[in-house]
Amino acid sequence: MTEVQLVDVEKRYGSFVALQKQSLTIQQGEFLVLLGPSGCGKTTTMRMIAGLEEVTSGKILIANELVNDKPPKDRDIAMVFQNYGLYPHMSVAQNIEYPLKLRGMDKATRNKRVLEIAIKVELESLLKRRPSQLSGGQRQRVALARAIVRTPKIFLMDEPLSNLDAKLRVTMRAELKHLHHELGVTTVYVTHDQMEAMTLASRIAVMREGRIVQLDTPKNIYSKPDNLFVAGFIGSPSMNLIEGDVRSGFFRATAVKIPVQFQDATSVVLGVRPEDLKIVSKNSAPITASVYAIELTGESTLVTMKHEATSICVRESADYEARINDVCHIAARTTGKLHLFDKSTGQRISTCSVKPTKC
Amino acid sequence: MKKKLIWAAEHALLVVVSFMIIFPIFWMFLTSLKRPIDAYSITFNFQPTFENFITVFRDPWNLGSMVLNSALVAGITVMIAVPCSSLAAYSFSRFRVKGRKILFFLVLSTQFIPAVVIVLPFFLMFRSLGLLDTRIALIIVNLAIVTPFVIWMIKGFIDALPVDSEEAAMIDGASRLRVIRDIVLPMATPGILTSSIFCFILTWNEFLFSLILTRRNAVTLPVGLVNFRTERGDLWELMSAAGVLITVPIFLMAILIQKHFTRGMTAGAIK
Ligand SMILES: Nc1ncnc2c1ncn2[C@@H]1O[C@H](COP(=O)(O)OP(=O)(O)O)[C@@H](O)[C@H]1O
Ligand SMILES: [Mg+2]
Repeated sequence: MTEVQLVDVEKRYGSFVALQKQSLTIQQGEFLVLLGPSGCGKTTTMRMIAGLEEVTSGKILIANELVNDKPPKDRDIAMVFQNYGLYPHMSVAQNIEYPLKLRGMDKATRNKRVLEIAIKVELESLLKRRPSQLSGGQRQRVALARAIVRTPKIFLMDEPLSNLDAKLRVTMRAELKHLHHELGVTTVYVTHDQMEAMTLASRIAVMREGRIVQLDTPKNIYSKPDNLFVAGFIGSPSMNLIEGDVRSGFFRATAVKIPVQFQDATSVVLGVRPEDLKIVSKNSAPITASVYAIELTGESTLVTMKHEATSICVRESADYEARINDVCHIAARTTGKLHLFDKSTGQRISTCSVKPTKC
Repeated sequence: MKKKLIWAAEHALLVVVSFMIIFPIFWMFLTSLKRPIDAYSITFNFQPTFENFITVFRDPWNLGSMVLNSALVAGITVMIAVPCSSLAAYSFSRFRVKGRKILFFLVLSTQFIPAVVIVLPFFLMFRSLGLLDTRIALIIVNLAIVTPFVIWMIKGFIDALPVDSEEAAMIDGASRLRVIRDIVLPMATPGILTSSIFCFILTWNEFLFSLILTRRNAVTLPVGLVNFRTERGDLWELMSAAGVLITVPIFLMAILIQKHFTRGMTAGAIK
């Protein structure tokens, strides 16, 4: 069932276009993540769904009902703001209680419900405090508690974890995922952090300059990026992108000659992830370059190689050893992990297989 | 060495300026406690008396009715101006309406008109309306003077409040008025209190309009002071006593503001 629908929604601030005529359908129970660099229009999109911002043109439907002219309070949504948007003059308990109070729930039921939720997010000992007396993580939990204290049609979350330290972010991420599983409420989640997007989403909408450039499952976004932007944005370290040509069954660039099943083409970009490459000893391998940097990340070693202007990163096992300036040979690790992009349009034209270390 | 000199100069200047401001007030307090024969002598060695404070409330001075006039005019002006200005200030601060800036400028620009320019039109207007020498006339005039100023002040306080909390409340299910009541007002209270007191002080001290628009019934305290210049000469000890009566409420409020003003500065967003 469809929960949220954006039809040709556009947003302008004066002459500046923050969102260009985009359509998006969000299914019931889905965890949709809006992912993109800062300033690409994620918050704007979310605020329009919330009703905090008017659309310039287009339609927004929630549960098949046009909500363009409905104020936020009538849209049955809950939102977690990036800066939490807590009520500084109210205690933690009053903050969580406020949505229930607005719905005219009686005091006894309210108190019971607040306590239930407080226990769920482990705030029960802090109920009497003011938001200013809490740490960032605790405030975040108050904001979350206030959102889940009632069951809205949709949760909206705008970078809810971005103000937390790295460790807490990982814990809270798991909490959010579990919560979504438990409540099953449709969630729209904004982030610029690809790890958050990959781990939380049922589908990711990758945005750039006011447009959705790919909308798909995390798996497909990762393994079949539609265009160079997504290819470069997703993955850490990002995908190797090598400019070159395809001639008589080979992709060719400086020091690179890889067999591909594709017709001849000029000005293409070959994309391959570091983990889909490996370093081999055969000097007849498709790519030859010298070691430029070696970084141990813990679970693996990242080896960056350079040949003239071409730079290629390979993920090797943690015990891999090499010295800088060693000349190495690189081959594909698996089949079906090479992507060809049209250099001028940036679109993917093919994902082709290559026999690993064919030579 | 140089630093010390600057420090000394700064403090000397502060002392001089404070003295210039405080001394006349101090002298007024002193004079209000003197008997008529001591009023003109520059001495601290006199028999203090509270007689003056009683005399001013008796015939022919009747300061009591003036105190009442001043209190009513200032009080009612505040009670009307502050709620209206708060709503106006909120709208100016939050709603992105076309022409908002020009409108705000127009409201403020009324403050640039010198009072003497409009006092005569007001006089004629109130004469036609038969409102001369009434408190209502004074309240209307004071509202006109004070409202733009209060709007401007409260807008400053509301501008500094985080919009996030208001948006959160709207999403939680509050209407705009409910947001103002539950979120904006509690957070803006220090600012609104400060503005109210400023408003009260402005109205309480207002002299020119009161002088022109009142004769006997609606005379306010500042105008009443003039009565102590009689054909028998200036009655300094009585004038000082009346001056003390005007000053004390303002004094107390200034102390209140000071406390709330620092609160207004420190209450603010949680980030
Ligand atoms: N109220 C506004 N007025 C003008 N421009 C705005 C306003 N809000 C956002 N923008 C612009 O719209 C673009 C998208 O903003 P936003 O949706 O906040 O991006 P993000 O993806 O980082 O959340 C940005 O370039 C921003 O400067
Ligand atoms: Mg944003």
